[in-house]
Amino acid sequence: MAVYTDVLCPFCGCICDDIVVEVGEDGKITKVKGACAIGRSKIMGHDRMESPAIREDGELRDCSYDEAIKRAAEILADARRPLLYGWSSTVCETDRAGVELAVEIGAIIDNTASVCHGPSILAIQDVGLPSCTLGQIRNRADIVIYWGSNPVFAHPNHMKRYSYLSKGRFTPGGKKDRKMVVVDVRETKSAKLADLFVKVRPGGDFLVFSALRAILRGHEDVVPDEVAGVEKKDLLSLAEMIKNANFIITFFGMGVTHSGARHNNIANAIEFTRAAHLHTKATIMPMRGHYNVNGFNQVCTWLLGYPFSIDLSQGYPWYNPGETGAVDVLVHGECDAALIISSDPASHFPADAVRHLARIPVIQIDPYPNPTTEFADVVIPSAICGVEAEGSVYRMDSVPLRVRKIVDSKFMADEEIIRRILEEVRAIKEKEGE
Amino acid sequence: MRQIVFKLRDGALRSGAAEVPVDVSPLTPDKLFGEGEDEIKSTKVWWGNRQENVERIFEVSVSGDASGAEEVKVVFEGELRKVKRIGYEMSAGEIVAEGSVGMHCGARMRGGRITVNGSADCWAGCEMHGGTLIIEGDAGDNLCACYRGETTGMTGGTVVVKGNAGECIAQYMAGGEITVRGNADMLAGLDMKGGKIVIEGDAVMPGANMSGGEIIVKGKVIDMMPSFKYEETVTIDGEEYKKYRGDFAIGEKKAKGTLLIRS
Repeated sequence: MAVYTDVLCPFCGCICDDIVVEVGEDGKITKVKGACAIGRSKIMGHDRMESPAIREDGELRDCSYDEAIKRAAEILADARRPLLYGWSSTVCETDRAGVELAVEIGAIIDNTASVCHGPSILAIQDVGLPSCTLGQIRNRADIVIYWGSNPVFAHPNHMKRYSYLSKGRFTPGGKKDRKMVVVDVRETKSAKLADLFVKVRPGGDFLVFSALRAILRGHEDVVPDEVAGVEKKDLLSLAEMIKNANFIITFFGMGVTHSGARHNNIANAIEFTRAAHLHTKATIMPMRGHYNVNGFNQVCTWLLGYPFSIDLSQGYPWYNPGETGAVDVLVHGECDAALIISSDPASHFPADAVRHLARIPVIQIDPYPNPTTEFADVVIPSAICGVEAEGSVYRMDSVPLRVRKIVDSKFMADEEIIRRILEEVRAIKEKEGE
Repeated sequence: MRQIVFKLRDGALRSGAAEVPVDVSPLTPDKLFGEGEDEIKSTKVWWGNRQENVERIFEVSVSGDASGAEEVKVVFEGELRKVKRIGYEMSAGEIVAEGSVGMHCGARMRGGRITVNGSADCWAGCEMHGGTLIIEGDAGDNLCACYRGETTGMTGGTVVVKGNAGECIAQYMAGGEITVRGNADMLAGLDMKGGKIVIEGDAVMPGANMSGGEIIVKGKVIDMMPSFKYEETVTIDGEEYKKYRGDFAIGEKKAKGTLLIRS
């Protein structure tokens, strides 16, 4: 039996790096310690896609990697508006190859951020981001605000490792040295743990941020008695808490990025953090979901100048979420072929988008079958990054980390699959040019 | 007057189960002025990730003569919802679209006149600097706003929307005038710095982060920003309006926007 310590967990944006994995004589993982239930399940592995396959007469027929890759390349080379989507539960090396493929075929390339923290990125580009690392929060934060975010369910180890429940250099008492505030539309499990819970009317976050900004800037006189279901006295006491704090962190999630004013909520949340700077140190951070959703945005930004939803059809990067996002081009019925990697749009996209996806040729690369497999025309199974393949990833606070290979696998790594498709596409184009 | 008609061929934008949009930014009166019929027909337009001769996608007919771009009239006909960038960066002449049009109609326009006899999709009149844009139907989101990363939207010109308008119209607007006869969705005039917006119907959260300019709402305001200060009641054209100043969320010194709401 082999024991691997300090293993990084390839599940959520926390990328916990204190996991212990035991591997049996047969090379199979037998035990995972220190991970949350979701992380443990992912590292242990389950229900894999066993073979590459191509759909014929409505049924998936098993085939070789070579055949599946060739068919995928033919579909992509032929497409007039192809979409390459997913990229968040894989490593940066795959994402880099994906960008090369997108440039080669004039595709739209987009990652899961566009249905997750894409609005946060839009806001950050508009107004900047006063942020920090998770380590700073662990060691310094005395006020932790979770806004539209429910870490108990979505990031189970987050509070224990990095925020409210963790013990740091200047917060040796753990939660005794901190106060936790939860702002949400309902009393979540996380809200039940909070020292202060502020209940906002759905879609009203933008108004609350603006009211808090006005109060923190000394204009509480203009703020009405109630703002989006929150009484003014509660806003004043939250503002008072902020003014008296040493270090504030606001973690925000889908509750604000995809409700009401969406990206403008986040721009306003960041401006609220700035207004707090008139009194104390304040920081803000998105609760990124997939472990490397941030990494794709980093890779795309240094290769193409933009972080996601990039249309390369006219030979230059055109960035216009709302027009060039995966959901946008699917709902508008614009794209005529799609490659989906390490993602499941069939489960997470709006019905109209899924309906269009089911009508066009779809290539799926994933370790696991999921509802997208049900209509995929080419299915290519891959190794699990962080368990069966190594690579670079970016944590939610933009700290780059290297996930490891723990066990061998019969499956091809994501990067190799994408590079092989790229080679085939180039060969097809060369032939066409002759 | 030289008239150039582009009639979208039936099914021309089909690619399998998809309908791939075409970018017609080269088809403006100023860019087509001086071109012969054959040259116009062989103008290259982007259709998806490949360029095509315009004739493959549109039936083209040309008549009359012009001594300048201002005497050129371009007409688009057919189902135009997937036709993007009509009148993009146009500086003179006239465009008429006979039906609802795709995104970016009249974006970055500097002069001339566009009439849309239907609705216009998102980013119509975006970063517009001059000219006139008339939309007979509704306008989508980001009307007269700016593209991602920019901090100045519309700076000049006149826009009239006879129906309703979408979210975030006139974001970062710095000049010009917009009239919306119907309602305006969330955050009209967000980050507005100058210019004037008249909303004859209702508006949701208008004027957030406003540092200049004027927004007049003749209907109801839903979710009034909690960071605006009531100043006085004023009379405009015989109607009483409540006058507010804001947005105090950006601080008192910068809060120089005016929001007028009919009482």
